[in-house]
Order: sequence, then C-alpha cells, then structure tokens
Amino acid sequence: MQLRLEHVTKRFRETVAVSDVSVTMENGVYGLLGVNGAGKTTLMRILCTLAVPTEGRITCDGEDIFEMDMRYRKILGYLPQDFGFYPDLCAEDYLMYVASIKGLRPAAAKKRVEELLHRVGLYSVRRRKMKKLSGGMKRRAGIAQAMLNDPKILVLDEPTAGLDPNERVRFRNLISELSQERIVLLSTHIVSDVSYIAKRLFLMKDGRIVHQGSMEEILEHTPVRAWLCTVSKERTNACLKKWKVANIRAGSGGNELRVLSDLPPMEGAAEAELTLEDVFLYYFGEKAGDDDALL
Amino acid sequence: MLYYEFRKILSKTGNRIALLALLVLLGVTCYFAVNGYGTSYTDEQGVSRQGISQVRKLREARLAWEGPLTEEKLAAVIRKHAAVIATPEYNSKDATEMNIAYSWTQDYQDIRQMICRAFGEFRSYDYYKIDSLSPEDAADFYPNRIRALRTWLDTEAKDMYTEEEKEFLLERYEQLETPFYYTWYLGWDKLFEYGPTIQMIFVLVMSFVTAGIFAGEFSNRADAVFFTSYHGRKKAVTAKLWAGVLLSAALYWIVWGLYSAVVLGALGADGASCQIQVHVGWKSFYNITYGQLYLLMSFGGFLGSMFLLLLNMLVSAWTRSAVIAVTAPFIMIFLPSFLSNLSVPWLSKLLGLLPDQLLQMQTSVNYFNLYEIGGRIMGEVEPLFALYGVLSLLLLPTVCALYRRAGRG
Ligand SMILES: Nc1ncnc2c1ncn2[C@@H]1O[C@H](COP(=O)(O)OP(=O)(O)O)[C@@H](O)[C@H]1O
Ligand SMILES: [Mg+2]
Repeated sequence: MQLRLEHVTKRFRETVAVSDVSVTMENGVYGLLGVNGAGKTTLMRILCTLAVPTEGRITCDGEDIFEMDMRYRKILGYLPQDFGFYPDLCAEDYLMYVASIKGLRPAAAKKRVEELLHRVGLYSVRRRKMKKLSGGMKRRAGIAQAMLNDPKILVLDEPTAGLDPNERVRFRNLISELSQERIVLLSTHIVSDVSYIAKRLFLMKDGRIVHQGSMEEILEHTPVRAWLCTVSKERTNACLKKWKVANIRAGSGGNELRVLSDLPPMEGAAEAELTLEDVFLYYFGEKAGDDDALL
Repeated sequence: MLYYEFRKILSKTGNRIALLALLVLLGVTCYFAVNGYGTSYTDEQGVSRQGISQVRKLREARLAWEGPLTEEKLAAVIRKHAAVIATPEYNSKDATEMNIAYSWTQDYQDIRQMICRAFGEFRSYDYYKIDSLSPEDAADFYPNRIRALRTWLDTEAKDMYTEEEKEFLLERYEQLETPFYYTWYLGWDKLFEYGPTIQMIFVLVMSFVTAGIFAGEFSNRADAVFFTSYHGRKKAVTAKLWAGVLLSAALYWIVWGLYSAVVLGALGADGASCQIQVHVGWKSFYNITYGQLYLLMSFGGFLGSMFLLLLNMLVSAWTRSAVIAVTAPFIMIFLPSFLSNLSVPWLSKLLGLLPDQLLQMQTSVNYFNLYEIGGRIMGEVEPLFALYGVLSLLLLPTVCALYRRAGRG
C-alpha cells in the first residue's frame, strides 16, 4: 500500500492552509508534527476526502483517491480532531451503527465490535450512553470506530489532545499495537506522542512540510546543536533574549540553561544530545506544546 | 443501517419528548372533538348534559328522521317546527323554559340547518329562516340550492368566472343525486372539524424529529466519520431519508388512526354514505360522501405531511441547521392563513394550491377556486394531489443529493 501526495495545496478565501505538500507513505506510523494552525487538520481532511485540494493530487497505489471513491473509503479509518458521536446512543450501538455504514454485515459487525470493545477496554461500559463516558473513553470509542473496517489507511488527528498523562500513555500503546500492516498518520502538537512510535516524522509549518525523515535523520540534519550552560540568576533574562533557550533548570549555583546554537554560546558550555523537543523549538520558534509540562 | 438510524432518532431525549407531546396533544384534540359544540343533549326539563351516554340519546333522537330527505319529510320538519315556535315555552323569556323548547327541536336540528341553508342567499345563513317557511315550501328545497348558485353567478360573482366555469359549477350542482339520505353524522362531522388540527399538530411536532436526522450529524460533529465511511455518501444517506419517511408515515397513520377511532368510537360512525352536502359541504361542487371525504382527508393529510416533512428534511440537509429546518413547515402552514386575510383575488387561487390545503381537505372541497388544466376545469383537490404527489417524489432524490454535497468542503 502506497499513499502519495503530489503538490497538494488547499486555499481558503484568504488563507493557504496547505501549501504544495508532496509526501509518500508506506506501511508504518507517520507523525505529523506542527503547532496549532499549521494545517494538519486540513491536510488530514483532504486525505479523508472530506475536502478537495485546490491543487495537486493524491493517489493510493497509483489511483486517484477521489476517483476510487467508495473503494478508497472502504480501506480508510479516520478519527477526527473534534470527534463527535451520537450522545444518546450507547457505545455498543454507536459502534454497530458505524459498522453498518462502513459496510460490515451484521454478524461480522457484532463480532468485530465486541473484539474492539475488549481491545480498547470499553467492554464493561458498552451499554453506557456515549455522553456518559469519560474523555479518554470517548477517545477510545473513537479509535475503535476508526478500526472497525480494519483500515489499510488510518488517520488520527490529535488523538491524545486533552487526555491526562496516564490515558495518553495508554493511548500511545494502543496505537502502536494497531499499527501493524497499515499506514497510520498521526498528527499532534505534542512531541512526546510521536517520538516513540512514529517511524517517520513530517514537520509542518504554515501549510508546508518543512522537514521530514526518521527521528535520527531529523536530529542529524537539523543545523543546530544543544548546549548546557550555567548562568547566574541575574544574567538569565539577558540570555533568554539573546539565545533560543529550550529549557531552564534552577540549581544552587545559578540556572542551567539549555541553549540551541551552532556554536558554543559561552565559555564552559557543554554540548548535549539534541532531542526532538529541541528540533521543534528550532523550527517552530516555540516550545513543543507538552500540555502538562509548559514553562 | 436503517435499524440503527431509527435507534439514533428514538434514543434522542428531545425526540422522545416531542413524541410524548404528540401523544398528549392527540389526547387533548380527541377530548375537544368528542366534547365540542353540538355534543350535548338537552332533556325535557331543559337541562343540558355532555358525555358519551348523552350523545347516544341525541343520536337516538336524530335517527327518528333517518332515511331519504324527501319533500314529505322536509315538510314534516317545517310543520313540527311551526308547532314548537307556537308554544309558550318557546316564546318565554325564561332560560329554563327556552331550553325546554329547544329540547323539542334537537331531533331535527341537522335538517333545520339544511333548510336554513337552502332557503337563504348563497353567501348568507339565517338560523331562523325556517320560522318563516310553510310546509309547501319544501318542494323548493333541492331546486333552491341550484337557484342560489345561479343567482350568485349572475350577480356578485359575475366577473369572477368564465362562462365555461359557470357552466361547470352548475353542472356539478345538477349532477348531485337527490333526495339526500339523512342519518346521524356527528362522528364524521367532528372528525372533519378537528382533523386539520391534529394533522397540523402532527406536522409541527414531527418536524422537530425529522429536522435532526440530517442536521444532527453536523451538530453532533459526527459528520466526519459519517462521510468518510464506505456507504457515507450513498446508502447511509438514503437510509437517513428512509428512516425519516418511514417513521413519519408510520406515526401519521398511527396518530390519524387513533384519532379517527376515538372520535368515531365515541360519537358514532354512522353516515359514511351521506353526501357531504348534507352538512360540511352544502355548497361544495364535489359530489362525494362523508366516507369519501374521509379518504380524501386521510390521504390529503398524509401527502401534505409527507411533503412538508420532506421539505423540512431538505432544508435540514441543505442548511445543516435543525432550527432553520423546523421553521420551514411553520412558514408553510401559517403564512397562507396570514396572506388569505389580504383578500386579493389572484392570490386566493395561488393560496388554494399551497400544501397547507392538503391538511384541510374539508375546506378544500368547499373552496370555489377553479383551475383549467389540459382543457379541463376542476377544483383545487385534483391539482393539489397531483402537484404534491410529484413534488414529494422529486424531493426524495433531491434531499439525498444535497446532503451528499454538504459533506465535502
Ligand atoms: N474551513 C476553513 N475555512 C477557512 N479557513 C480554514 C478552514 N479550515 C482551516 N482553516 C485555516 O487553515 C489554517 C490551518 O488550520 P488547521 O488545518 O486546522 O491547522 P491545525 O490542524 O494544524 O491546527 C488555519 O489558519 C485555519 O484558520
Ligand atoms: Mg488541527
């Protein structure tokens, strides 16, 4: 299975949400990383045929996905960013309904729904109304929904946003488990989400893919190095203005700053290993948005 | 798919409330129909009472006049009435005395109304007209109906109709079989009186339910999953439409069936073969029976409801807003009655063809709107059924097409 995007551009009236994106994906997990407003959702909606690109085309094994129509949707699973459902249906009925519109026969649907309910840990609450489920449970129902037709292409838009750290770890593991034998595209503005599970990363900024590759490739090709240097509390503010500082750790002998720079920023600076968080800061000019670890 | 679409609709709290409200309003309407004007019986002491047993007594009294309304029978009514108005009770100023006098007239009240109509002008009704008649006048009863129309067409309505149309009306009047057959008809009468109310309530309440079927995907933000599913742009959309149509149709017949059963059960189902000219359609140029009018009303209401609810679903699919969708049937039902107050001649012809007319067949058969279609002159009933039959069929694929398009930005 090969999914290929060629010069995909999407313009809204005044904004260019996606600009000249060309990428190729084969089986495995791909991470789409970018700050809010980078165009991740728009790109994913196009991939799911919910929006038509203004320019460019997308092919699946050489065939245009919009021409494939139903055949493409047959192999597609999608968890939208603002995942919505029918609040008064119970989890099981919700999944049975989605199974029916995904073309599963009733008997097969029943089996598949039961299997997925176990898999995502919702079996015990299957008769509970969707609106009564916790945020994490809803999200898990969302991924179960996306998995119903055993999709060859699984698109997950910010699947971990708003989850607490435990739920997030659990979710990550679930996605890893589900990622065999298919293309999984996962968007996030949280670096730690993808750094463990994605085989390739796309860094998206202002609608463009500014950098792509495996984690190692990205770290290797990012033209910046990380340095640890200790400065007194009084000098900290001046340093923050001067350099890109990825982190500050308060110590007894002053603050230890993590500075991104080509050259050692000062005497006695020790080079540290570059992390994906550093890369994120370097490209996007802001902190990797780890919801629960902000400065 | 259809099954879960139904579950989606019926699990929604708002929809359950709406259906409960429908049931309550059905009960209220039935109550008013069964206890409305004309259902009380006045005994010889002048005391009026309501209730099923009283209706039985009234029916018993009226059935004394059952049978063909011949000249002799009409003369007998005029004679009996003359005797009543000569009594001191009738001329008394005392309420109880007057009520006692009324109790002597209630067996022939139906026929009295017919006589007053027959001997009045085309556009007027005088409840005391019978007081001035003598038994010999009975011979003019049937000819008078035609004479009144002819006079009206020659004077007041002179410029309102073409010669062909006038001829058409007179011909229809002359074709009416006489003498009428008279029997107890109150059950049908009340059924027709409150039928439009219950049909209107049905459409307005149901429109809350059907408005959510298409717009709900968007308001629940479930549209992305819906439209990216295998059947999401075809069968799943059709299933929504069928869920709406089947649910509306099933509930219509249940509501209408219950309403008819309650009203006819309480007030009596006699009179299905009476001509509508006996009471609800004295002036109507549709020569049909009460039973036939009931069928017209049942299917007119059905077609009108389906059309308005399809329109509601169309707006819902198009605007993605249930709130806007709900207003569509409201406007279609209430705007015409507002406009009809303006009394512009060409407007009345147009209003006669609006879908709300299908929900009030008992007035539609009484309207004097004439249309010439394919060289044939007809009233509004035939074009209404044809027009909205076709439009409803056209709406079915249009709703689906619009919704499919809504799912792609
Ligand atoms: N339907 C739309 N109409 C107009 N502008 C839009 C629409 N959808 C997205 N955009 C704009 O496109 C840009 C990218 O948005 P989005 O794809 O949601 O980014 P992300 O998912 O990375 O946060 C934003 O500037 C947003 O305002
Ligand atoms: Mg987004």
